[in-house]
Amino acid sequence: MHTFRDAGARKGYPPARMRIVIVGAGQVGSTIVEALHGDHDLTVIDVVRERLEPLAYRYDVGTIEANGASRRALRDAGVGDADLFIACTSRDEVNLVACSFARVEAPHATSVIRTSNVEYIDLWREGRLDVDFAVSSELETAHAVSRSIGIPAARQTDVFAGGQVQIVEFDVPEGADPAVIDLPLREAKLPEDSRVFGIIRDDTLTLPRGSETIRPGDRIVVIGSPTAARAWGSLLSPEEAAVKDVVVFGGGQVGTAIARLLAAQDIGVRLIEPDRDRARAVAEELPECRVYNATGVDVDFLERELIGRAQAAVFAIKDDAENHYAATLARVYGVRFTIAVVHDTISTKVYEQSGVDVTVNPRGVTAEEIVRFAHDPRTQQVAMLEGDRYEVLDMITKPTSEYVGLKFRDMPIRGAMIGAIVRDGKAIFPRSDDVLQAGDRVIVFTETKRVPDVERVL
Amino acid sequence: MSPTSGADRPERIRERTYVGIDVRGALGLTGTMLAYLSLSALIPLACAIGYREPIWPFVGAGAIAGAVGLGLQRLGRRSPGPIGFREGYLVVSLTWLLAAAYAALPYLLSDERQVSRPVDAFFEGMSGFSTTGATVIVDVEALDRSLLLWRQLSQWLGGMGIIVLALAVLPRLRIGGRQMFESELPGPEVHQLAERIRDTARRLWLLYIALTLVLFGLLLVIGLTGLDDRMDPFQAIAHALTTMPLGGFSSDARSLELFAPVTQWVVALFMAIAGVNFALLYLALVRRRPRAVARDEEARLYGAMLLIGSAVVCAELIHAGVFAGEEALRQAVFQVTSLMTGTGFATTNYVSWPTVSIMAMIGLMFVGASAGSPTGSVKIVRHLLVGRILRRELRQTIHPELVQPIRLNGRTVDERTLRAVLAFVLLYIGIFIIGAILLAIDSRFSSVELGMTEAIAASAGTLGNVGPALGFAGPMGSYAPFSDFSKVVMASLMWIGRLEVLPVLVLLTRNYWRV
Repeated sequence: MHTFRDAGARKGYPPARMRIVIVGAGQVGSTIVEALHGDHDLTVIDVVRERLEPLAYRYDVGTIEANGASRRALRDAGVGDADLFIACTSRDEVNLVACSFARVEAPHATSVIRTSNVEYIDLWREGRLDVDFAVSSELETAHAVSRSIGIPAARQTDVFAGGQVQIVEFDVPEGADPAVIDLPLREAKLPEDSRVFGIIRDDTLTLPRGSETIRPGDRIVVIGSPTAARAWGSLLSPEEAAVKDVVVFGGGQVGTAIARLLAAQDIGVRLIEPDRDRARAVAEELPECRVYNATGVDVDFLERELIGRAQAAVFAIKDDAENHYAATLARVYGVRFTIAVVHDTISTKVYEQSGVDVTVNPRGVTAEEIVRFAHDPRTQQVAMLEGDRYEVLDMITKPTSEYVGLKFRDMPIRGAMIGAIVRDGKAIFPRSDDVLQAGDRVIVFTETKRVPDVERVL
Repeated sequence: MSPTSGADRPERIRERTYVGIDVRGALGLTGTMLAYLSLSALIPLACAIGYREPIWPFVGAGAIAGAVGLGLQRLGRRSPGPIGFREGYLVVSLTWLLAAAYAALPYLLSDERQVSRPVDAFFEGMSGFSTTGATVIVDVEALDRSLLLWRQLSQWLGGMGIIVLALAVLPRLRIGGRQMFESELPGPEVHQLAERIRDTARRLWLLYIALTLVLFGLLLVIGLTGLDDRMDPFQAIAHALTTMPLGGFSSDARSLELFAPVTQWVVALFMAIAGVNFALLYLALVRRRPRAVARDEEARLYGAMLLIGSAVVCAELIHAGVFAGEEALRQAVFQVTSLMTGTGFATTNYVSWPTVSIMAMIGLMFVGASAGSPTGSVKIVRHLLVGRILRRELRQTIHPELVQPIRLNGRTVDERTLRAVLAFVLLYIGIFIIGAILLAIDSRFSSVELGMTEAIAASAGTLGNVGPALGFAGPMGSYAPFSDFSKVVMASLMWIGRLEVLPVLVLLTRNYWRV
């Protein structure tokens, strides 16, 4: 489980619990509650009792059955004392209105909204929307898909320090490049500017020392520059070429966002949408994509358009069962690399069972993004690697830290590893004789239970 | 108790309505248009007074048109309600017919023998307002100056559109005007320059007037500085009045042949400018956004067509030894610009040019200039859209499920508009063929020698509002030898062509008139 530090830390107070009000107890809300309940006081507001009850029984959180877009309901929920306000219902307008009321009731609380409308995100970036943080499920999903297409073997990619540092999880396949396999790490020819953060074998993570070896079947966590991450990708799956041809199934909001992002990266995108009007709307919106009005399960269509030869296929059909069938069918027709957008949490397992390579859960990525923000501002981003057992911390070194002035090789290992430091806005991938300085932004990989230790010493 | 209940059957059942449109109201509005248009006779009247020429052709024409107009307007007073969408077609079509008749009056009332017959006068009047430039007058110089000015002025008035003018200056029409505006202004879509149609119409007309004045000034300077001693002030105003509307009437029997090369280049330049969409010209010249023209897909294709056409013709002229050097270039550019934009000026009698050039000439009559300019014919944007529709059809043959909206300048074009474009092109070609066949058949019954090329050129030239055809009706000739029937056919073609086919054709359908 994650640990989260208080909002007071940013003003130099000792860590304290935060009061957090969450509007919306759907999948996003539940995921946020799950991540934050242990360390903070949570109140969840939703109009549907059935969504609130499981949360109330499972976690120690307050629940209120009310409309989050009502000022009185918010006042009753005690928004006035809240440190953090999160509006994460599936409806943009409710989130916006709830946030506006929260601003009035609690002018000092930090506010976060979830929205599916890219225009609102743009408005927020321009500073014209009075919220502290806005997250779009569609956009986050598209980024997740795009990252995994950019590096084919990657399970999950996270970006730090404005894209200068990437943390990528790879499955090590049979037939990976022998330059890195079955060799002690200190002898292997690892890509420059990268480190192996961790090796996950038999569900246990080891923070590898120089004598450790990478074996096929392992899952490894690598930190490095974007170039290094790509180099790792081709080392581990050398036969896979750069992806230039992707088929997207489903032209809903998620599918469209994915297609737009991929097309912007100069990837040829074909999009398949069964609804005629929707297909037309997508075609008007995305002139650079080829849009087909067909179902993903029309065998004649798949054969005629040679869908099986696509380098990768993304499945973003709204219904999980349909999506799953389409993905399996595409695999039957020879698509080697399949990425599915899943909606139900359990679907992830189903997709993996049937051989879909990557799954992305829009609500999961949205919750993750919101939790990141709820985290200590010193820890600017949190990647939830491997469920919740490992964590990547991104934090600034305090001048009082006992590690300042030490060379990396002299630091005692305590179940954590510094993968990269950002100094004066530039990413450095430290060697053993580099020295840690006060004010360095460090990216640390650690087991979740050691997070408080790491925070204390740094 | 009766099994039916409710209010009693009304005492009187209304009589069945047969006619679905408000004819009275449409006639009334047409009358208003005509009455205001009759004021335009004041300009040649002033000219006649100045040159001490007979004034009564213009007094008479103005009086008759004014009286008929006011009479019709009176008729419309008893119309039940405002003019609607359907009546618009009748108003537009009738207004243009009456305008042509009005233009014919001074010719009939004068003692000019070349246009003394009603059919000839009407042909000349329609050719004027529709900016075609086909003429039945052989000896132009024999005309009175005031009558000559009237002939030029009719083209200038017709260029930007009578109804657009009416919308711009009339105090208030009882209609929104958008639909009539659209059916008169060439092209499938109308660019709005302002929120209100009236302001858009005003801006278009002001720009049109300003460009005419600039051209007049340039020609005047060319004349006064001695660069061209044929270009006196009257010639300058006369040619400025027919260049900007892409009309083609010349006050000189040899068109622009005897004018100096510099005059020909200037006129060619202004024909090319007048062929650009006026909304774009407004953006470029008034709002100072010249890139609006450079980025517009239609304007770019228009420029490319002018260049390619000129290059092909120029190459053949040099190769065949007809002209050499600057003259070959000038003749090619001038003739190509003139025929493609539908102006109809000429600097040489191209009737005897070699085959490829003649084919290019006839082909260019079907091209036209940009939508939103005073040009005739099919117009560049329709060619562009038809090309894209065909490309999409070819792609969809291979990928039947492909959804591909057609874009113009980055914006998708409505499928309904695309259908209208296809329908327009097919109707246009159909009417052109019918016209050519009628002319050919009629030539059998009259003593006119009309070959296939000439029949095709005459039909294309009048339907496309270009003007000169080939053979005896070529740029230095006249349409006088045609029979009366042929002249009526060609006047109809000009009318249909100017109003872009559909407004006239819907009047011929039963559904238009019935409830």
